[in-house]
Amino acid sequence: MADKIKRMLIANRGVPAVRIIHTCRDRGIPTVAIYSTPDRLAHHVMMADKAVHIGEAPPAESYLNMEKIIDAALETKSDAVNPGWGFLAENADFAQMVIDSGLKWVGPNPKVIRIMGDKIEAKRLAQKANVPTIPGISDVQDVDQITQWMDAEGVEYPIIIKAAAGGGGKGMVKVADAAELPMALAQAKSEAKKSFGSDVLLAEKYIERGRHIEVQIVSDNFGNVFHLFERECTLQRRNQKIIEEAPSPSIDENIRHEICFTAVRLMREIAYNTAGTVEFIFDSSTKKFYFLEVNTRLQVEHGVTELITGLDIVGLMIDVVEGSELALKQENIHMNRWALEVRVNAEDPKTFSPSFGTITRLQVPTGPGVRVATGVYEGADIPPYYDSLVMLLMTSGRTRDGAIKVMDRTLSRNFRAEGVKTLAPLLLSIIRHEAFKRGEFSTRFIEAHLDELVSTFRETDSQDEVLKIAKYVAEITALGPQEWM
Amino acid sequence: MDAAKIKKENWIRPGMTPAEMVKILRELDGVALTCTGMRDAGQSDFKNRHRIYDLTTLCPYYEDMMLFSSECHGGARWHVGIMNRKESPFEEIELLRKHMPSVLLQTLIRETNLWGYRPYPKNVIEYVVERVDIDVWRCFSFLNDVRNMRTVAEIVMQRGRLFQPAISFTQADWTTNDYYLGVVDDIVQLCAGTDEIVLCIKDMAGVGSPERIRSLVDAIKQKYPDLVIQYHRHATDGLAMPALLAAAKAGAKVLDAEEDSLTRFYGQAPILALQSYLEESGIKVVLNREMAVKAVQRVRDWIGQYEWAESPFKGFDHQVTFHRMPGGAFPSSFEQAQKGGFLHLMPSILQLMSLYNRIVKYFDVTPGSQITWVTCSGIINKYEKELGTAGVQHIIDLMTRFVLEKDQDLDAMEPEEQKEILQLFRNAPGDFKNLILGGYGRLPMGWPADWVYESTFGDDWQEKIKERDDSSPLESLKHDDLERISNDLGVTLGRKPTEEEFTLYLMHPKDTINYIDFREKYGESPLVLPTDVWREGLKNPGDKVEFELWGKPYCIELLSVGAEHEGLIHVVMKVNNKTNVYKVETPRAQKAEIRMASGEEEIGAPINGNVWRIGNPDRGTIKVGDIVHQGEEIANLEAMKMENAIIAPFDAQVEEIAVKLNDQVQENQLLFVLKKL
Repeated sequence: MADKIKRMLIANRGVPAVRIIHTCRDRGIPTVAIYSTPDRLAHHVMMADKAVHIGEAPPAESYLNMEKIIDAALETKSDAVNPGWGFLAENADFAQMVIDSGLKWVGPNPKVIRIMGDKIEAKRLAQKANVPTIPGISDVQDVDQITQWMDAEGVEYPIIIKAAAGGGGKGMVKVADAAELPMALAQAKSEAKKSFGSDVLLAEKYIERGRHIEVQIVSDNFGNVFHLFERECTLQRRNQKIIEEAPSPSIDENIRHEICFTAVRLMREIAYNTAGTVEFIFDSSTKKFYFLEVNTRLQVEHGVTELITGLDIVGLMIDVVEGSELALKQENIHMNRWALEVRVNAEDPKTFSPSFGTITRLQVPTGPGVRVATGVYEGADIPPYYDSLVMLLMTSGRTRDGAIKVMDRTLSRNFRAEGVKTLAPLLLSIIRHEAFKRGEFSTRFIEAHLDELVSTFRETDSQDEVLKIAKYVAEITALGPQEWM
Repeated sequence: MDAAKIKKENWIRPGMTPAEMVKILRELDGVALTCTGMRDAGQSDFKNRHRIYDLTTLCPYYEDMMLFSSECHGGARWHVGIMNRKESPFEEIELLRKHMPSVLLQTLIRETNLWGYRPYPKNVIEYVVERVDIDVWRCFSFLNDVRNMRTVAEIVMQRGRLFQPAISFTQADWTTNDYYLGVVDDIVQLCAGTDEIVLCIKDMAGVGSPERIRSLVDAIKQKYPDLVIQYHRHATDGLAMPALLAAAKAGAKVLDAEEDSLTRFYGQAPILALQSYLEESGIKVVLNREMAVKAVQRVRDWIGQYEWAESPFKGFDHQVTFHRMPGGAFPSSFEQAQKGGFLHLMPSILQLMSLYNRIVKYFDVTPGSQITWVTCSGIINKYEKELGTAGVQHIIDLMTRFVLEKDQDLDAMEPEEQKEILQLFRNAPGDFKNLILGGYGRLPMGWPADWVYESTFGDDWQEKIKERDDSSPLESLKHDDLERISNDLGVTLGRKPTEEEFTLYLMHPKDTINYIDFREKYGESPLVLPTDVWREGLKNPGDKVEFELWGKPYCIELLSVGAEHEGLIHVVMKVNNKTNVYKVETPRAQKAEIRMASGEEEIGAPINGNVWRIGNPDRGTIKVGDIVHQGEEIANLEAMKMENAIIAPFDAQVEEIAVKLNDQVQENQLLFVLKKL
């Protein structure tokens, strides 16, 4: 029967850690945060009931340091470890270590993580479950192997090379023609090694102007597999998603039904037992979708699904770990609104180069239809060692247009961050773009429209303006009359 | 009409046609006044630093003062505005229109040079003049080359605004009444008669003796009785008042004056004093004295905050009748001399200027005055550097003899002296060279003597003389590609510029970019902060500054200023009750400068990141002196776990590696210096 979690250690930082702490708080589960030295004043540390210093800045010494994390869990008498997304979330060894230490692992069975983490194996299983897959080859070693496969199967450029163990765009390189191939292969190999500790690669046909659609699944240990509909995650830059929405504006009811139940079929086939996502690429010209991968974890964009269905996915994962059967019925899961999410990364909106430093001003959006998942607070530092996500802004409305309008209000009149650069101006330009409003975009949308997107004028309000004046007064007060006067 | 009986309802106001304005002035029994308090007063004695924040306090009085116009725009005010006050001339016009809608706004424009310092092509002049909302356009040429005024005149008159062509005045043996009548003939012809213009006599240095001015105004009135004449005069020689009276008696209808409390030495005459003096002499003046008194009084509220901007050279200077430095150039020249550490050379420079203007004949007013200044101060500085004080005296003596005694007859000088004179202009600025080749238009007394060319150009001088072209820049300059320039600005700003930003950019590109950056960073600070706070900030904890922004009340209060620590000063302020801490970097904090890549042989970082590899896995680390090949990876940066290969753009030898392994670098920071093979 239900074996309630008594204390949860969150093996993560920033936005995911904060997100999980919220649900734990709702359920009365005390939380333990971990932190690296530069994160000692981070938002998640202050929010948790307890915190443990886990090591120095480099991830390998802190958020990827498995022994230390398990020690921290044991020392704080935690009985469960929740990995969030990123870091160790899809590390089967870690999941196994957690379980072997007598702790509960908030995630799928380590075997499933291992299998689905191997892209080649995952593809084989998908084919076995009768799920359509993209033409490709596995275990790529050299250039010749790729060219032979392309000749044999009549595949044309572009192709994409990715880490078999990968995800999140890292170790993923698009190849436009034969000349680029050697360099691309070397880069993918090196990135794969660095990010995932394994340089096993695979190569696939690259679907131009493809749309990225994924299905949210929740399942339990009682053989129940439900889908919570799909999300559209097509808008990416450098293969990293920056705007997501649910449902997808690209598909109709028939395809929705087909894609969702295809995902259910696959997850049932692999005996999946928590929340997870099946990613597809959708070729809108042929209306065909192909299996990409399974994300065996909570995803960044899970919030939009929560908004359209009213379910708490983090809570459902805890239910499963606590041994409950999911109290859901597929026919009772409805979506009754449209939700949009933008990723407010600390990056230069024109060059995407990361922006570090102290957030000197942070105005968190409020108002009807807005959900905010923040990893920071005003005065917090953004260290250069980790991922650049600082806040997720989600909005919902009765229709897609309604959700976009709320997002416009949120970005133009509500959200403010100073001290570091954020993607906010770019995000605002995207959601105001006519093609975006019409739902016409592909994974290449941002590259294709970058010039017009970054040149859009930024809005200010009187509060922004008075702070500029105050900054001037402060500088002159400190420094006295200036040479240029 | 009797000047004393004119009411505001039947006085000149914006929206009237130029013909209506001219008619009122022609029928006026007495004189009207232009108040220069908002432009030339500030330019002549306060380096143009008077802020629109303070000037707008005068608007309510100007509104009822019954001025002919308020000279509030143009000259160097435009450039100093964006450079030093961080105000745009467009914002200023908008504010003045709002606060004194019944007053004619007047500008000063330099024919083809507009509000900049070089001749602009016709399409730029058209673009700019069409977009500036000014009622009275005083337009002058430092060469009195009326041809150069054509485009400004056409656009202004087409727009139904009042064109005020000016003759640049100086007192010299060659500037006779006949000479000026010739200039006036050209003007009357350009403007198709005298019905829609006011002619200005621009005595920018303040050198016209009362008798000389009487005679000139009289001569013009004899020939063109219907031509309305305005006399603009600086006070530098100390004789402004009698000269203004002489002009009025001879028939000038409009005179320039400024608030008595603004008056120093190089601007215009004091308005209240002028009115009394004229009336005592039997000349009626259109002026609401009560309002003028209030304006004069109001100036005293803020003028004390500009003491720092006043010229270090104080007092009238009758010697101006020889060196002819214009009032507007006085403070800026002395400022430059002070900054450059050669204030002690000013008497010598002014002496050389009085000789120089017998060698190259034009009028000392922008841009001519700058050419005179840079050329003469350059020569004196060079002599001082090479030969000390004695050298300076030597060149003054030599040139005095050559110009005054020998009338520039080179053969009358000793061979050694000839050699020296033929080197005099060798280091003259490019603008001087351009001027004597005709780049600005026709010189009023023709080309200077041949020795000037030999002295300037050396062996090539005869070739250069053949290049001389005295056609107007309006004909000789090719159109600028406005679309391309606008795109360039857009690229720099990362957004589309506004029409006003683009107009500013056409005139002063570099300063406009700085201005826009400043305003993006500091918003409306220049418009809302009182001058003491603008210049010095808040002094003591508890001091506050209150203002309205977009109709909302704001208050900034200083809580504390920390001591400097590691190059930072912490300033704590309350902004409408919310406490903010500002970390201000002191100049000392500016850390070791990061080298940026420029040019094709310097390879910069494409992103902010960490240099985790120098070289590539195939060949290992790359060292200085190694040969690298086009397309070869020479380093790799990592940011947020993404790799970015740095690729050699050509076959090259590594000259320098500017970073170390694991350095954190910023975008465009120099990584490698390569030598192309």
